[in-house]
Amino acid sequence: MPDEAAPADHELLRRHVAGDADAFGELFRRHRDRLWAVALRTLCDPDEAADALQDAMVSAFRRAADFRGESAVTTWLHRIVVNASLDRLRRRAARPALSTGDEQAFEALVAQDGDPARTSDTRMDVDAALRLLPPQQRAALVLVDMLGFSVADTAAILDTSPGTVKSRCARARARLLPHLAHLQGNRSPGQSVSPAQGGDTA
Amino acid sequence: MRGQMTHPDTDVLAEFRAGLITGRRGARITAHLGGCERCTALDEQLAGVRSLLASVPAPAMPDSVAQRLEVVLAAEVAQRNAAGRAAAPGDQAERAGGDGAREPSAPRRPGGNRGFRLLALRVLAPAAAVVVLGAGVYGLSHLNLGSSSSSAASSAAGGAERSAPSSTAGAESAGRVHAPAAGPSEGTVPQSRGITPASFSLVTGQRTLTRADLAQQVRAALLVPVSARSTKTPPKQLRGCVARLADGHTLELVESVRFEGRPATLIVARTGAKDTAWIAAPDCSDTNSHVLATTTLTSGISGP
Repeated sequence: MPDEAAPADHELLRRHVAGDADAFGELFRRHRDRLWAVALRTLCDPDEAADALQDAMVSAFRRAADFRGESAVTTWLHRIVVNASLDRLRRRAARPALSTGDEQAFEALVAQDGDPARTSDTRMDVDAALRLLPPQQRAALVLVDMLGFSVADTAAILDTSPGTVKSRCARARARLLPHLAHLQGNRSPGQSVSPAQGGDTA
Repeated sequence: MRGQMTHPDTDVLAEFRAGLITGRRGARITAHLGGCERCTALDEQLAGVRSLLASVPAPAMPDSVAQRLEVVLAAEVAQRNAAGRAAAPGDQAERAGGDGAREPSAPRRPGGNRGFRLLALRVLAPAAAVVVLGAGVYGLSHLNLGSSSSSAASSAAGGAERSAPSSTAGAESAGRVHAPAAGPSEGTVPQSRGITPASFSLVTGQRTLTRADLAQQVRAALLVPVSARSTKTPPKQLRGCVARLADGHTLELVESVRFEGRPATLIVARTGAKDTAWIAAPDCSDTNSHVLATTTLTSGISGP
């Protein structure tokens, strides 16, 4: 068996389907931090995110033969994770809003590095604000604005059109604005602000 | 401020900024922004939301989650291996050819349809570490004795999970994963767990280990029952190496692996309350303890 230093994602997936016991693990480990970020940001709850990621991983492991190469392997993996996360949100919708998860959410968010309090505050505020969004808007916003996926890739992940992705992101940004404006250096309308980042060309 | 247009809503500005509003309506907004300080500031704040969101670093997966997923993955691999062995040769061929299958609903594996597997997945899904640690291990040893289908194994594991009394109990049973083989020894089963360096079997395989997250990878390696892997008698030099490193401690696993792309041997021994894993270089012997990496695992696989 060839043993290159870094086989491509699709090659690892092919090996997995062919029976290689280690290929899927290598593929999953390669992308797990981003997949975790998607699940955590979409679900806003580390326990739920871990469950969703586990569902997704098992599902991807078993359904790898379904992958037909029409998208990148990463797109396919993210799609499975997003679907598992949205699935959980739908099931959770009947339950009352979480409150006990907040402490753990906080720890999961701040435990990642030793950044000073300011970054943690920003994270906490962003995390809290994200909870205000409807799941579909949140998923689109997380993928495009937080994880840097293109609108086209996000549309593929969410199985929708690029226009819908743009629209969900736009509405999400508008909804977050009042909750995040204070993090932009306490600017208020009329004050001078730093030059805007480019438009939605992502 | 020129008042030829009322201030657009934040939603509208956001959609405009996203390129969703063009034509005459877009032109009107452009004109309005040209003369309205308030809306210009709002528009720039919308851009600020994007850069703020982009500036929040993505959280790394916590170790406890990574460990749990490795354990679940190892169980999947073991289950697939067992299902593969139980399957008729024809199934194997079908699966090998399934790579380019165009029909997503075609059965891919023996042992039940997709609906059942999803159901099994649902049953297993809420499974926190308990499933994996408590029941999953029993599921594995069950499989190991030759279960006839993956579905049966899934439901067995699910049933065990639901009856697991508490996470504490789960962790306790997990601590015994590496204890000398549960159940009667069949004599011919190559079981290296809990035996002395004098008589271990070398697990052969193509497991690839990397320095990063080594402990988690070793945990995953420990989860696959030795009897589900192929083994061979270790060469004399390796026996010397193992005896030197393990130094009388009970062996958990000796497996030939690739470490950072090079051939090596993974050796795991129970050293007191912990497991110690060594990655031995090919020239390790009874006089040369050449170790490429080492790591310790606290209390078997149960540590969060």
